[in-house]
Amino acid sequence: MTKMFAVGLAILAGVAGVSAHHSFAAEYDSNKPVNVSGTVMNVEWTNPHIHFWVDVKSADGAIVHWRFEGYPPNMLVRQGWKKDATLKPGDTITVTGWQARLEPTLGAAREITFADGRKMAAGPPAGTGGQ
Amino acid sequence: MRLPHSTRRCVAAVIAAVAACLVVGAAAQAPTSRTADKPYTPPRTPWGDPDLQGVFGNDNEYATPLERPAEFNGKTLSDITADEMAKIRATAQQRMLAALPGGRVRGPDEWWTQNLDLSKRSQPWLIIDPADGKIPPLTPEAQKRANTVRGSFVRQTFDGPEDFSMLDRCISRSIPGSMIPVMYNNIYEFVQAPGLVAITYEIIHEARVIPLDGRPHVAGSVREHMGDPRGHWEGNTLVVETTNFTAAAAYRGANAATFRVTERFTPVSADVIAWTATLNDPTTWTKPWTIAMPLRRERQPTMAYDCHEGNYGLRNILSAQRAAEKDKKE
Repeated sequence: MTKMFAVGLAILAGVAGVSAHHSFAAEYDSNKPVNVSGTVMNVEWTNPHIHFWVDVKSADGAIVHWRFEGYPPNMLVRQGWKKDATLKPGDTITVTGWQARLEPTLGAAREITFADGRKMAAGPPAGTGGQ
Repeated sequence: MRLPHSTRRCVAAVIAAVAACLVVGAAAQAPTSRTADKPYTPPRTPWGDPDLQGVFGNDNEYATPLERPAEFNGKTLSDITADEMAKIRATAQQRMLAALPGGRVRGPDEWWTQNLDLSKRSQPWLIIDPADGKIPPLTPEAQKRANTVRGSFVRQTFDGPEDFSMLDRCISRSIPGSMIPVMYNNIYEFVQAPGLVAITYEIIHEARVIPLDGRPHVAGSVREHMGDPRGHWEGNTLVVETTNFTAAAAYRGANAATFRVTERFTPVSADVIAWTATLNDPTTWTKPWTIAMPLRRERQPTMAYDCHEGNYGLRNILSAQRAAEKDKKE
């Protein structure tokens, strides 16, 4: 993971402009991978990034409300997503990504696995600045 | 363009050379392109202007270094061999792929390799003038200016919204920033009407309306993040002079009062526009400098990017900083 982050930074270091909307590293920690499963409660199909909420049952049975950030809607549409269809409340999903620097239930989503096994990219690799 | 004659000749020669390279590069990738020995003549609008209309993009130029990398010290763009360019392209693509999970393309990530395809990069670096590929030295006046560079990519601490860049804040990428590719939204739509050219930029979704009727720039007291553009045709090239930037939006800390950007949009084939931007501010750089890249025709429309509607990133970063400070005190 650290190596992946370093590669992202190496790419950033030489570019003419910033990589995308805001820095991944300022908000998220690439050393804190997240892998949670639960039920989608809400999807905000907004710019500059979508956000979605997932209720995850913890080991003690309590419900933890996770919030994830993903790509902008236009990027998702170009990769095959459909608003209100691809990801919607009630869906059971597994999300992989990275945790926010401090907020324990905020994450940068990388990939979503749906109940039928389909996988969709939801956000950029850590460190590429694509948030 | 307010440049000495000798400089103008030099810039014009470099631009012509780069445009020729772009034609050759495009010819290798697009069967409809023409070759440099037969200059391309674009179609005309019903009122007789060269027709540049359509959607264009420059994803392939993502992450191209602005300045000449150290490994090419002593070389100019024209010294770069086809083999060296092939290696540059392959390395850029490999680096991007290495950043994907597992270092390989799978499933939806294939989109990236098709649309952010660095193996089609056109140049090893963006600065075409001066020939050494380096930003000219800062003037003594500019060296004394406070460093005002802000943004989530360059700072470690954030006390308020002012510590973020104009892009972080969904305000503007200005010019030439709007044309320098990021990870996505690198597409631009050109629309023409008699006496006007409009360009929309997907990222931040800004629009420039460029008058071609020779009217003077607005008064110096009027300032815009995207500046005040005025255009004219030089043959088939659209030349756009932009001034009156806000201090916050002036590129790389330029002095907004004296900063001028001269862009040239030259159609070099049915699917490629050669774009250059000359950055001139005698109070910031010791001489003007020029960047270039090709814009390639896109088969997809531009989309909305209403950046303000859910910009939680600033709030999250600021709240994380405050929480970290609180933890330190306790």
